[in-house]
Amino acid sequence: MKENMNPDPGSTRGSAEASDTRFREVLRAARPSPSLPPRFQENVWRRIEEAEAPAKSGSWLDALAALVLRPRFAYATVAALVLAGVLLGTYQGAQTVKQTEQARYLAVVAPNSLR
Amino acid sequence: MNRSLVILLGALALAAAVFAGSYFVSQRACVTTMTRSADDLSWLRDEFHLSDAEMARVRQLHEGYMPQCAKMCALIAAKETEVQTVLANGTNVTAEAQKKLTELGELRAQCQAQMIQHFVTVSQAMPPEQGRRYLAEMKKITLGSHEAIEQSMSDHTGHEHGSN
Repeated sequence: MKENMNPDPGSTRGSAEASDTRFREVLRAARPSPSLPPRFQENVWRRIEEAEAPAKSGSWLDALAALVLRPRFAYATVAALVLAGVLLGTYQGAQTVKQTEQARYLAVVAPNSLR
Repeated sequence: MNRSLVILLGALALAAAVFAGSYFVSQRACVTTMTRSADDLSWLRDEFHLSDAEMARVRQLHEGYMPQCAKMCALIAAKETEVQTVLANGTNVTAEAQKKLTELGELRAQCQAQMIQHFVTVSQAMPPEQGRRYLAEMKKITLGSHEAIEQSMSDHTGHEHGSN
């Protein structure tokens, strides 16, 4: 057992910490950190605020696109459009037939020269 | 272009295509189906909600009227040809042309009176309310167009027929 062989564990830990601190200082000196760009802190805070702010102009398009791409919404919209198209088409078709039938009757009983 | 905008425009185009497709298909299907079973009197049955018995009576009246109508139409057509011939021969409205025009007018009036009498008879074969509606509709269609023409002419020329 190595630890048992060490006569003073406290002094060993202290020297290791001192060695770590020295090592960090050497490392820091070897790799100097670049100077921060101007108004760095202000820009960081601005970006944080923008990220936390609720969605504003421009993003409503994204929200709408996301809604459109939802399968449930897409299926419901297609079903509603088909239903509306069929109802309107049937109504218009019936009106067309009615007008055609009326014209047909009138052509038989009331020639154009008398109208 | 913005991706969301492309998605929305695509969705809009697709929606328009779906709506237009279902509209045109159902309209065509409706017209084809309903026209297949139609005859000359279908409008009367559908518009005035006639029963089979009423429809049979109206059909009988209609078939009785058709030969008279055809005879009058032939007479009018012959008279129109005479008028065209007389008018084509000269540059003025001669006494003969005047006479032919008067005869044509009389024939038309006679045919119109016969037609309106037929409408009255048919209206009497319908339930009272439907009969009144039918007669009003037929008068509006057959006489209303003349009134509209006369009205438009008096509006344009600044005078009115029949008012002294």
